[in-house]
Amino acid sequence: MDRAPSTPTSMVLSVLVTCVVASAALTFTYEMTRERIAEQERVAREKALKDVLPAATEFTAVDANVLSAAEEAAGDTQVAAVFDAGESGWGILVAPRGYGGPMSMVVGVDRNGKVTGVKIITQNETPGLGSKVMTEPEFLPQFEAWDASEIEKAAKAFDAISGATKSSNGVRKGVLAAGHVYADVLSGEGGGSKQ
Amino acid sequence: MTDWIATFKRGLSIENPLTILMIGLCATLAVSTKFEGAFFMGLAVIFVLTMSSMIISALRRVIPEQVRIPIFIVVIASFVTIVDLTMHAFLPPVYNFLGVWIPLIVVNCVILGRAEAFAYHNSVSLAVADGLGMGTGYSFVIIVLATFREFVGSGEIVFMNQRIVALPPSYQGPGIVLLFPGAFIIFGFMIAGARWVTERQGRRVVETSKHCTIEEGRAL
Repeated sequence: MDRAPSTPTSMVLSVLVTCVVASAALTFTYEMTRERIAEQERVAREKALKDVLPAATEFTAVDANVLSAAEEAAGDTQVAAVFDAGESGWGILVAPRGYGGPMSMVVGVDRNGKVTGVKIITQNETPGLGSKVMTEPEFLPQFEAWDASEIEKAAKAFDAISGATKSSNGVRKGVLAAGHVYADVLSGEGGGSKQ
Repeated sequence: MTDWIATFKRGLSIENPLTILMIGLCATLAVSTKFEGAFFMGLAVIFVLTMSSMIISALRRVIPEQVRIPIFIVVIASFVTIVDLTMHAFLPPVYNFLGVWIPLIVVNCVILGRAEAFAYHNSVSLAVADGLGMGTGYSFVIIVLATFREFVGSGEIVFMNQRIVALPPSYQGPGIVLLFPGAFIIFGFMIAGARWVTERQGRRVVETSKHCTIEEGRAL
């Protein structure tokens, strides 16, 4: 069969044209799905916040100053957002590193500095091993009632899942970071203004 | 037309990508723990395989031989990204379950293997038949495997949040079925089953796979 000859011009041109057409198709798909994806992520986040702080009715993002102070308090762990849930406390979105990259999770802390719950929104841990941090029934509840103002002390009694040590430690790091955010920033900040 | 049907059927039986050619197994073993995941993985593979085979076959005369692989990969990666974005937007639970395996379809040997071995050398309609056949053959095997693993391993089959079949809650499935060793063992039985069926139909696997081994050997 006669094919286009592999001359430098034909090779450069064909790759170039393919890439341009492909990027156009992808831009179009991206634009079509962008809003829905953002919406889905918002719904997932809201649901996770609701799970860790069931009594809260409204979540408002804290202002930029508090967020940057929170980022500082958390150290290496990335803080994606902090939500003020009024009387119920705060929902802290952290992204600690697990085994397969950052995991996105919400830590709820109430006004007295007790951890109310931990919920993982997305993770890329090894299916069947690291992903057990989401499914193991006794893993995530163990963080409940940890004292966020003395988080390092609370974190000493911690059970990792065997076979998922790195993933478990990732989750623990996220809770630790949230504890530091509470102790260094939120306990002085929002508590006063709300009462 | 008979050619078309014959090409389509080859992907299902004597050249089944999973049980005969045994390409693209890693994703198969990983996502076949749930019927739902396997179902949508199958659909994604059918879509990507058919579309990329079609485009590559349509362009086969203008793609210079020396840069064909980069072009194949751009075409395949684009369709995979389209699937990825669409699933993320419309099927978030499935998207979360399949996770990294969706983007990894780009490097799934089935797709690139068929592009190189078949689509680049055949007409558009045959390439579509091959894509559909291979995709359906892939989906069939992965769905059977996943149905078995989910049912035996967890005692129920869940699809779109609906329980389709469920054993009483007292059932404690053997966990190994859901882990990789179990996947290998069950898949081994499926390969044996596929061999038995093809041999019984009187088509010798060795004979029929003659031309495909040469092509596949070059492709992979």
